[in-house]
Amino acid sequence: MTLALDVRDLQKTFGDVRAIDGLDLSVDAGAVHGLVGPNGAGKTTLLRIVFGLVAPDVGTVTVLGTDVAEAAERSADGVGGFVEEPRFYPYLTARRNLELMADLDGGGDERIDDALATVRLDDRADRKVGGFSSGMRQRLGLAASLLRSPRLLLLDEPTVGLDPSGARDMLAIVQTLAADGVTVVVSSHNMSELEGVCDGVTVMHEGRGVWHGSMERLREESPAPAHRLETSDDARASEIAGRDRRLEIVADPAGWLTVSADRGVLDAYVVALGKAGIAIRRLELLMTALESMFFSLTGERAEPPAVDRERDELSTGSAR
Amino acid sequence: MSVAVDAADTPRERAGVGAVYRVEIAKIRAQLLPRAAAVICLLAPLGFAIFINTQSSVPADSLFGRWVQASGFAIPFVLLGFAGIAGFPLLASVVAGDIFASEDRQSTWKTVLTRSCSRAEIFVGKTLAAMTFSAVMVALLGASSTIAGMLVVGRQPLVGLSGELLDQTHALTLIVESYALALVPTLAFTCLAILFSVTTRNSMAGVIGAPVVALLMVGLSLMGSGVVVRSILLTSPYEAWHGLQVSPSTTKALWIGLLVSVAYGALSLIVAWRSFRRRDFAGDGQAPFRWSTIGRVVVATVVLVAILLVGTLLNKTWITSTHLEASVSQTLSNLIVVQQQILGRELDPTTVKVYPYCKRESVISGTSSGPADDWACQVFVDGPHVSRLAADYSIAVRPDGCYTADAPASLVGPLHMKTPDGGTTINPLSAFDSCMIAP
Repeated sequence: MTLALDVRDLQKTFGDVRAIDGLDLSVDAGAVHGLVGPNGAGKTTLLRIVFGLVAPDVGTVTVLGTDVAEAAERSADGVGGFVEEPRFYPYLTARRNLELMADLDGGGDERIDDALATVRLDDRADRKVGGFSSGMRQRLGLAASLLRSPRLLLLDEPTVGLDPSGARDMLAIVQTLAADGVTVVVSSHNMSELEGVCDGVTVMHEGRGVWHGSMERLREESPAPAHRLETSDDARASEIAGRDRRLEIVADPAGWLTVSADRGVLDAYVVALGKAGIAIRRLELLMTALESMFFSLTGERAEPPAVDRERDELSTGSAR
Repeated sequence: MSVAVDAADTPRERAGVGAVYRVEIAKIRAQLLPRAAAVICLLAPLGFAIFINTQSSVPADSLFGRWVQASGFAIPFVLLGFAGIAGFPLLASVVAGDIFASEDRQSTWKTVLTRSCSRAEIFVGKTLAAMTFSAVMVALLGASSTIAGMLVVGRQPLVGLSGELLDQTHALTLIVESYALALVPTLAFTCLAILFSVTTRNSMAGVIGAPVVALLMVGLSLMGSGVVVRSILLTSPYEAWHGLQVSPSTTKALWIGLLVSVAYGALSLIVAWRSFRRRDFAGDGQAPFRWSTIGRVVVATVVLVAILLVGTLLNKTWITSTHLEASVSQTLSNLIVVQQQILGRELDPTTVKVYPYCKRESVISGTSSGPADDWACQVFVDGPHVSRLAADYSIAVRPDGCYTADAPASLVGPLHMKTPDGGTTINPLSAFDSCMIAP
C-alpha cells in the first residue's frame, strides 16, 4: 500500500518545550486517519511541520512521496487543509478571498462556486469575512482547501466552533472526500467524534505517538465503557455487582457508583437490580470505550459528561 | 452532497512571484489605510496651494517658499522639501511596514503559506507590491502638487536655485527629475519598513519604525554639516535634486544618494529575508510590544545616534566663505539677468560682474565657516543697468548647504516690482534661495 504520509523519528522543540518527541507515523493513501490527543499533545505542531510552516529539528516527513524538507520551502503539491482556526482577510468577501487563494495556487477559480456550495457558504459568498462566525470561517477554510484538489487533506480540529449540525456536515464532507480517494488526516481532542469517520488512529501524548492502529483494533483493545450509576441502595447494588467478575464497580466519593462493563453484561446487571427491588435513579454514560482507551493511554482525567449527552442517554441507559 | 475535488488532477503550474504580486496589489487596493494615503497625496497639495495663497505670508524659510504665490511650479518643490523630512518614509511605511506584519495580525500566514507559493516568491512578491505602492505615492504627490500649483497659482516662470529663470518646460522637467530622485531613497525606506515589518511582526512597529529612523536622521543632519556622516544618512538623498538646479549642475550627490539608498535597501532586505526564511510559523497573532525589546531598541538607537552625532560634530565642515561667495556670485549674476528680463531689458550675462565678500557676523577674527543664520555678504555688482550696485545680504545657511538670502529694500528695491505690462512680480534680487553643493 502506498503511503500518503510517512513521518520518521520526528522531533521539534520550542525553547524548553519538546512539542514533538520522536514521532513515527504512517498513513495509507486513501485512508481517513485520526490524530487524537489532549491539548498540547503535538497534533497541531505535526500538521504545521507537514505543511512546511515549521521546520523539524530531527526526522523526516514524506508527503505524497515528496520529502517536505526538499519541497523548496513551499507546501507540497496535492496537500490541502488548515491548522487551527482558518483565517482570511476580513476586509474581503469570502469569494474574493477564495479568488486570491486560487491565484496563489496558480489557478482553480472555476472550482470556487462548487467549493462554496459544498461547505454551504454559497449564500454568503459575497459577504466580508470580517463578519463571519468561527464556524463559517471553518467551513471557508475547507472550501479554500478544496480549491487545491488535494490528494492529502490535513484538517486540524475541523469541528471546533461548529454547532452539532455543522460538525456533522463537516465530518460528512470528510467521508465524501475519502470516498473520492482523498487521504484525510484529521486531528481532534475528542475521540468519540472521530469514531465513525476514521479508518485508523494515532493517539498522541506529550509529542509522542502512544498508540497507532486501526479503529477496529482500538475498539477491541479498549476497556469497557464506564457509566455513572445512582440507585436506591448503592450498598446492595455494589454487592450484586461483585457477583459478576466481568463487571467492575467503584464507589465515587461524590456519591455515585462508576460501573464499567460491556453492553450485554450491563443489561444483565440492570435486570438483576430490578429483580432485587433496587430502583435505578440514574444511569448515564460516563465514557465510551474509545474514550476510556484515550484516557488510559494519555493519563488524562475524564471530565464530567456534557449536559446534552446526559439528557440523551439518561433514559436509555445504553452503552456503546 | 457533492464535493468539488478532482483528485486525478495533474499538478498545476507554479503560481510564482507574479501571483503573489497580483494578490498583494488586490489586498492593498481593498484596504482603507492605503486608500486614505492615496487620497491624501491627491488632495493635500490642492489644499496646501489654496491655503497658502490665502495667507499674507509665505514659508520663506523653505526652498522656493517665497515663490509659492508667484509661480505654481514652486508648490511641488516646497512639498518635496517637506515630504523629504518624514513624509515619504511615512508614505512608504503605510504598506511596507504592514505588508508582512498584517499577516501576523490577521493570523493569515498559515493560509498564505499553505498554498503553492514558496517563501521566496512570497517575500519577493510582497516586496515588489510595497515598492509599487511607494512609487505610486511619490508619483501621485508629484503630479497632484504640480497640477494644484498650476491650477491655483498659475504657470508663471520660476526662478530656480541657480538664479536662472525656469520656463514651463524646464520647470516641469525639473519637477519630474526631482520627484524621480526622491523615489530612490523612498524605495530604500520601503525596504527598511519591510525589515521592521518582518522582524517585529507588529504592524504598529512596522509602520512607525522607518519614519522614526527618518526623523532621527533629519535631526542628525541638522546638528552639523560633516560630509561623511551626512553622506551615509538615508535622508540626505532627498536633497539630491538641489544638484540639478545649481549652476553648474552636479550629479555627485545623486550618485552618492543612489549608492547609499541601494546599500540601505539591500541590507534591509537581506536581513528581512534571512529572518523570514528561517521563521517557524508556530502560532497565531502578531507579536506584542515587549518593554524589554523596546528598551534594547532604544539603547541601540541612542548609542548609534551618539556615535553619528560625534562623527557629525567632529567632521570638519565644508561650508566656508569661499564656497558661499562662489555660489552667491553665480546666483546673483543670473538673478540680475532675470530681473532685467522682467523689466524688459536684455542683458548679456557675461557683462555682469558680481563680487561678494561673505563672513559670519559672530566671527571677529579668523575664517568663517559652518551652517548658521548670521552670515552676511557684501556684494558689489558691476554691469549695464546695474552699475556699481552694492548690497548687503543677510544669509541663513542650513547644514545641507542651501541658504536663503535677504537684502534691504533700500538697496535692491522692494519685494514686489512692477512689470512693463503693469503687473506685479517678486523682485528676484530682494531675496533668493540657492544651494551650495558639498565637495
